[in-house]
Amino acid sequence: MTTFLISVGIGLATAAILALSAVAFTLEYAVSRVANFAHGELLTIGAYAAYSGQRLFHQNVVAAALIAAAAGLVAGLLMNAGLIEQFRGRSATTVFIATLGASLVLQNLVEMIYGAANVSYSFSQGGLHHIGPFLWTTGNIEVIISALAVAGLIYLLLQRTRFGKAVRAVSQDRTLAQVSGIPARRVVMGTWGLAGAIAGFAGFILADTIGTFGPQLGFSFLLLTITATVAGGIGRPYATLGGALLVGLVIQIAGTYTNSAYQLVWAFALLVLLMLFRPNGLFVRRGATAVRA
Amino acid sequence: MYWVSIVTEAAIFAILALGLDVVWGWAGDFDLAFYGYLALGSYMTMVLTIGKPTPPVSYILGYHLPYPVALLLAVAAVVVLAALIGAVALRNLREIYFAVTTLSAVSALYLIVENYTPLFDGYNGVYGLVNPGQTALNLTYNGYRIVFLGVVLVLLALVCLLVQRLSASPFGRMLRSIREDEHAAAAYGRGVFSAKYRAYLFGAALAGLAGGLFAVFISAFNPSAWTPQELLVIYAAILVGGRGNPLGVVAGVFGVYIGFIELTRFLPAPSSRPEFGPALRQVLIGLLIILMLKFRPAGLFSERLSRDRGPQ
Repeated sequence: MTTFLISVGIGLATAAILALSAVAFTLEYAVSRVANFAHGELLTIGAYAAYSGQRLFHQNVVAAALIAAAAGLVAGLLMNAGLIEQFRGRSATTVFIATLGASLVLQNLVEMIYGAANVSYSFSQGGLHHIGPFLWTTGNIEVIISALAVAGLIYLLLQRTRFGKAVRAVSQDRTLAQVSGIPARRVVMGTWGLAGAIAGFAGFILADTIGTFGPQLGFSFLLLTITATVAGGIGRPYATLGGALLVGLVIQIAGTYTNSAYQLVWAFALLVLLMLFRPNGLFVRRGATAVRA
Repeated sequence: MYWVSIVTEAAIFAILALGLDVVWGWAGDFDLAFYGYLALGSYMTMVLTIGKPTPPVSYILGYHLPYPVALLLAVAAVVVLAALIGAVALRNLREIYFAVTTLSAVSALYLIVENYTPLFDGYNGVYGLVNPGQTALNLTYNGYRIVFLGVVLVLLALVCLLVQRLSASPFGRMLRSIREDEHAAAAYGRGVFSAKYRAYLFGAALAGLAGGLFAVFISAFNPSAWTPQELLVIYAAILVGGRGNPLGVVAGVFGVYIGFIELTRFLPAPSSRPEFGPALRQVLIGLLIILMLKFRPAGLFSERLSRDRGPQ
């Protein structure tokens, strides 16, 4: 039972990171109708930006997190303007292949700059804490709290602001939003900036949690992100959070009771099952059409 | 010998690309599992020819079969795997859903091969297939390499001929009609799944053949040789050559492979950073994919569609 609860605890930390990455992925999809395979590289860019910044700011965790988010924001804006908008109106598969190409470019640019060897931060993970039934490091707790805070902020932004309203309108129908007087181009741009910032931050806490990371950091997290997104229902930010929770727990618990090297195999198996039986998400009633594929 | 090696490699990948083009170019299914088929073909050819493993090395089978027999069995094994993945992925999934599913299948496979050592000795991989039949043919090492290039080129020509015949056949036209409009093709009585499935198995068989030849070419195979992203080079080559046009695809592979290998010889390669050159090459391949998609999606030699001549 203790083992189970510890793995649930770690699963919650994994789920928190996964939730942020998946929300960013789903926001990109919501406004641009693109499954962005270069999404993982936004995380990688955030992680490496924080790595570059940590020496400048004397190991300040908050500064490093802000740098990661800022780098992600810039990368998200550039990705939208330089790639996604360029392929607007082309078939979904074409855009998808283009993002796959972009992923290759960005990942190897990072490798050219920083080298292929793994690097690591020098932040302390802090001591272990027993909270309720769980066992967490200070780092784990920071990750979970910050993810909850970011999720809360996204909720307020999407539900309570004019920008959020515009994002929801554009994600329903970009043309209709445009003719209703919503500056769709700028809203899409803003959403990509937001998604980039979330992804950059997620990359930072992912790298910090794993310990050492390389240029493949984000790409290897991508399929997990997609699994969480699909579990929740792609294009639906709040359901995505639920999907992330589910996937984070499933892989952590499955990984604890089987060989942990196969942890990701469980996630991939889950993804295949979801694709086959619930491609619109677990929380959608059968027959309801939530997403136009 | 430098050129013999480059042309052999390009010819092997041309066979793989022709198989992939049947699946993506004709049937319209963007598959990301294909490099796994090449890998399995390569692994199977090795474990069927190099004999029993000596501990601590471990892998399955370990027979001493003649190379051509092993090659055929390897192709059969690849077709079986493709039959499993295809049966699941091709049934209802299309476009990105299909791509993501095949990618997760091959990623799971990759993790299993990497971590489960009794299969193909995990991360170390299998090795020891050095020029099968060299002594029987009484050849020197270099002589064998030239003969092997000849064999690969003959096989490529045969495959190319077969694919071209198939391309112009009713089967090829049916696949293209399904690619253009699945519902219309179904309405005209074409079995969409069965057609796509047959195309998939055919393509995978070619990937398995390429894998078996690749085993001889590099004589050792481990997981670092087949990350799923390697496939993007093949897609770049197909995009350059012209999706759906077999001769164009072959030209694209030779152009991209030889072009990139020659080009990267002249790029800066600081000795302190051995990963710099390969990474730069990947960056260029990614850019090539994006630019081709943006400006010339049909490729340099675009697909020639057969015309309906109609009743005279």
